[in-house]
Amino acid sequence: MDIFQNIVVYLILAAAIAYLVKTYFLPKKLFSSKKGKDSACGNDNCGCH
Amino acid sequence: MSKQINVALIGNPNTGKTSVFNELTGLKQKVGNYPGITVEKKEGICKLPRGVKAHILDLPGTYSLNTTSLDESVVVELLLNRNNKDFPDVAVVISDVENLKRNLLLFTQIKDLRIPTLLVINMADRMSRKGISMDIPLLEEKLDTKIALVSTRKGTGVEKIKELIADYKNLSSKPNIDTSIIAPDYFERLKKAFPNEDLYKLWLVITQDVNFMPIEKNMLKGFSSFDIKSKSELKKLQHKETVVRYQFINNILKEAYKVDLSAAKGFRAKLDKILTHKVFGYLIFFFILLTIFQAIYDWSSYPTDFIDNLMASAIEWIKNGLPAGVLTNLITEGILAGISGILVFVPQIAFLFLFISLLEETGYMSRVVFLMDRLMRPFGLSGKSVVPLISGTACAIPAVMATRTIENWKERLITILVTPFTTCSARLPVYLIIISLVIPEGRFLGLSYQALTLMLLYLIGFGAAIVSAMILNKILKIKSRSFFVMEMPTYKLPLLKNVVYTVLEKTKSFVYGAGKIILAISIILWFLGSNGISSNFKNAERIVKERIASKGLSDYNKRNIEESLNAYSVALNDSVLQKKYTIGIEAIKDSLEVRKLDLTNKAESQEVAGYKLEHSYIGYAGKAIEPIVRPLGYDWKIGIALITSFAAREVFVGTLATIYSVGSDEQETITSRMAAEVDPTGQRPLFNLASGISLLLFYAFAMQCMSTLAIVKRETNSWKWPIMQLVFMSAFAYIVALIAYQILK
Repeated sequence: MDIFQNIVVYLILAAAIAYLVKTYFLPKKLFSSKKGKDSACGNDNCGCH
Repeated sequence: MSKQINVALIGNPNTGKTSVFNELTGLKQKVGNYPGITVEKKEGICKLPRGVKAHILDLPGTYSLNTTSLDESVVVELLLNRNNKDFPDVAVVISDVENLKRNLLLFTQIKDLRIPTLLVINMADRMSRKGISMDIPLLEEKLDTKIALVSTRKGTGVEKIKELIADYKNLSSKPNIDTSIIAPDYFERLKKAFPNEDLYKLWLVITQDVNFMPIEKNMLKGFSSFDIKSKSELKKLQHKETVVRYQFINNILKEAYKVDLSAAKGFRAKLDKILTHKVFGYLIFFFILLTIFQAIYDWSSYPTDFIDNLMASAIEWIKNGLPAGVLTNLITEGILAGISGILVFVPQIAFLFLFISLLEETGYMSRVVFLMDRLMRPFGLSGKSVVPLISGTACAIPAVMATRTIENWKERLITILVTPFTTCSARLPVYLIIISLVIPEGRFLGLSYQALTLMLLYLIGFGAAIVSAMILNKILKIKSRSFFVMEMPTYKLPLLKNVVYTVLEKTKSFVYGAGKIILAISIILWFLGSNGISSNFKNAERIVKERIASKGLSDYNKRNIEESLNAYSVALNDSVLQKKYTIGIEAIKDSLEVRKLDLTNKAESQEVAGYKLEHSYIGYAGKAIEPIVRPLGYDWKIGIALITSFAAREVFVGTLATIYSVGSDEQETITSRMAAEVDPTGQRPLFNLASGISLLLFYAFAMQCMSTLAIVKRETNSWKWPIMQLVFMSAFAYIVALIAYQILK
């Protein structure tokens, strides 16, 4: 049980780090979807705040 | 396969383009009763009759195609470039029923570009109240177009727009006016030089700062068959063009548009006189601000306390329900503790946006802009800078983007640089929790000290923005200033749908936007706080127990236990005296002993948890930065929160909530956890008046937002300005916080 909990904790930790790296350190263009979709920061639904 | 056509929604500012866009696409872009909300084009898809699909573009508002600012040029650049993938198959000009004459100027210009154009007359619900009557068939005939009479407030006429767009092939693309009559010789030479190009389009390229394929502005200079006129000559011709257009429009409206002036006289003028009065106007605004801040405290305290207690109970319930282990600890001490740090502020954020939305919807926000314009001129800023500064109270990111309406680059740059001083909603959680910890609950003239402090912080932010603008204005030296012409929108009763939508949307984006970051940071912080490699960390329990055995508990804990026991003893004796219980002296002694043991055990486990945290990974990191934050009255835990909140300010509370809950067996509310913290001397609470004020001032001035820096970089096209902004604001915040703490400690 302890091993299972440890594995899950490390997976969650890795996901959290990956999310922050993606949000703040990788260029947005890498994740923007196809043309036509305006994902510019500052839109009401930009998600930066 | 169904055909997809491009449709551009164009019109003067504040005519309801985005409302029409939302009705057509089913999307929910921000709308409001003031000009300049849309500064970028927005896109959506609309299904039309007969299987036609429309790609709808909502463009920034512009009064004409003679543009002056960045947002307006978006429209001209699109309409002049047939090679643009978004070039419209049909242009939909949205106009407002009360200002049809002015709106038709833009309509005739677009029509003259030979683009199939239809006219939407919005706000039709105001016609009877304003005494307006129109002969639509006659207007259609004279303007050579199709017209849809619409009320987006009442939701009428939208189907008609869809039908007309679907039927766009039957729309005339003939021009309304022959522009060449303003300078026949000049236009003749232009025609000879570019026989295959449309004359009006050429004219716009010459008079605007835009290029379009296949003709670039520089190419025009290479043709000797006509001379490029001087700027002043071109301006004169532009004026002449405007006069010709208005003559055409007046002739049409004389027959087809009537206003019964006796019906049109409303109380708007009277209300404007009071609300924009040079004394009463400011007093009313001040009173409204006070009401808002008072309401944020008074009205939201019940739901806030409810959420805080609910989260504490939920954490306890989950902890008891799940099997003991690291995963349970992560969920309860890391994730839920961090998330509760944001959820408790939902009521305050909702109230803030409720008021902002009401002010926008009624049209009062435009009067505030007018008032502020008067106030800001002596500081070197025009009223065009006011809209970004005021919208910065929600979030600096759209506010920085809103500076695109400012033509003068230096003025725009100054506005971009000072806007982050305005108190954004992300600062609200930090302010609220610190104020509740360090400012007493008393009242002055019915207003709570806490609400007054909150209002003062908003005023400090706004003051810092205008003083910085004044300094930057002296350094950057703006020669020509943007002229500020603002249309006062009519007063409207707030539309419940829009208000509810704004409140829900903004609150949702606050919770989800910040929530995702807080969740990620809480997980990492919990891990760093629950693990360590040093022997001190591993043997924390033994070391602390040995220390307690030899030296006893910390002074703060000893005092706390003593005070708690005294209070308990008094309460117990009172109960006995009032004959609520009948127990003997021995029983009272036993009860006090049990209580003392309980409190001592609790203090012991707190000291073990504190010692472990201090020797965990995060403890070492915090201790490394402590010398920098110590002079401001903060301990290493606040230092960590300052660093993590650089991602977004609201992360501050979530970070502290997580750090304080690591290793804690007690499930308490965030406020009580923070209130229980003691400063490193062990003599007084960590969040005392001096450190609290220092912290409030630090957050009032510091540039704690990575997203804002990114948007400043994008808008200034350089890292130079955001870096300068970061360095200046952080240094200034540090110095002010340092001075405040050193004076008050």
